[in-house]
Amino acid sequence: MLGGFDYVCARSVDEACRLLAEPGDARVLSGGTDLLVEIRNGLRSPGLLVDVKRIDRLRRLETSGAELVIGAAVPLNVLVEHREVRRSFQALADAALSIGTYQLRNRATLAGNLCNASPAADSAPVLLTLDARLSVASPDGMRTIPISELFTGVKRTCLGPADVVTDVRIPTPSKLRRTAFLKQQRIRGHDLAVVNVAGSYAPGDRALRIAVGSCAPTPILLDPVDASGSHEAIAERVVELAEAATEPISDVRASAAYRRAVLPVLLRRLVERLLDGGGDS
Amino acid sequence: MSHEIFLTVNGQAERATVPASMTLLELLRESLHLTGTKEGCGIGECGACTVLLDGLPVTACLVLAVEADGCEVRTVEGEASDGRLSVLQQAFIDAGAAQCGFCTPGMIMSARALLERSPSPSDGEIVEAIAGNLCRCTGYESIVQAIRRAAESLNGRETRKSGPSLAVNGQAVKRPRRAKARDASRADRPRSTQGGGG
Repeated sequence: MLGGFDYVCARSVDEACRLLAEPGDARVLSGGTDLLVEIRNGLRSPGLLVDVKRIDRLRRLETSGAELVIGAAVPLNVLVEHREVRRSFQALADAALSIGTYQLRNRATLAGNLCNASPAADSAPVLLTLDARLSVASPDGMRTIPISELFTGVKRTCLGPADVVTDVRIPTPSKLRRTAFLKQQRIRGHDLAVVNVAGSYAPGDRALRIAVGSCAPTPILLDPVDASGSHEAIAERVVELAEAATEPISDVRASAAYRRAVLPVLLRRLVERLLDGGGDS
Repeated sequence: MSHEIFLTVNGQAERATVPASMTLLELLRESLHLTGTKEGCGIGECGACTVLLDGLPVTACLVLAVEADGCEVRTVEGEASDGRLSVLQQAFIDAGAAQCGFCTPGMIMSARALLERSPSPSDGEIVEAIAGNLCRCTGYESIVQAIRRAAESLNGRETRKSGPSLAVNGQAVKRPRRAKARDASRADRPRSTQGGGG
């Protein structure tokens, strides 16, 4: 047994928000692959889990207008296999595929990866470079949060206790855009990132969008990087910005020194991929 | 608080009254006495508790029993029928793919799901499909071989030998030449099995 909590399978977003607003430390349960581990390890002891997986609206995955809408209860494996995701957001598919194992990805969700707010969340750097937004329901109504405002610290977000993320929205590109995701990990199987980086660039644009994970209390979106000059010059600008914006720590996965050494290597590879369109890692 | 749930386990309708905090793994092992499914790490890392939930492999230690209400669950106990092992189970025995046996039920369920979504998997697909199942005995070679042989038996024909190269989490991995040579020598001596630990 995992603890003393109760469980409700919410049938609507309104019902979920109402239950979460009641006193008693209720938590949203989506895939549960982080939350149930935290409960087992004694890091959380919620009074109520509000399961949102069976709310239809949270299960949709579709292009709506100029956005890709990823429902908060869509399992990562469904996202990874989606044609539009593979076509326009390869880096998102790569990042999602690097989270956990096949079994976990049948449960875990993109919204869950974000709300868990790990500094190493693999989907976060990609979504930062793609200007993703979260639709959030609360007892006061709906609002939209840019992902750049979501993370406030290690495992902390700007979301309130009665907030329910209903979907993650990504603007669909109007022109060809390259995206890339690279992750350094201790073993080639499933493992958390030691350093993870993502970028997006449309050839002809004046700037590259680059984000870095696992090197600060939150994933970090760098200021847009001037795309003029040689590849080496651009890469050096990216490295300089990233080093100024991050403050890696030592933990069980790597030392701060190792992270500082790996970060520029990954960033140079990333920039090369974005500018050349392809190549290997 | 207790919840009444209805689910199908290996084709059989079950009704259970479960506390909210009971995992699907606990329901299977302790209430339904289906102890084939094992608890390894309890945090979704090792895959020993892999079962199929509505056809998809999941780690039963990270699913609440109450979340499985209305679902179809399949465990290793659903493999054999009428006292006969499934082709997949027999292939594991023939290939020497079980040593201590603790990972085997989870391995078989991951393999079952793979063969259902990809009846003629490449070695790369096989490795990817069992990447979430840890085995500390076999070194995996014999397990990959067992799944390959099961696919061949079920299809009654050879599977793709020249499929994509090995891939782990989407990253291509070169298959060691030694392994290829071993495959070739096995093809000549189909009864040989791989010995030794990992």
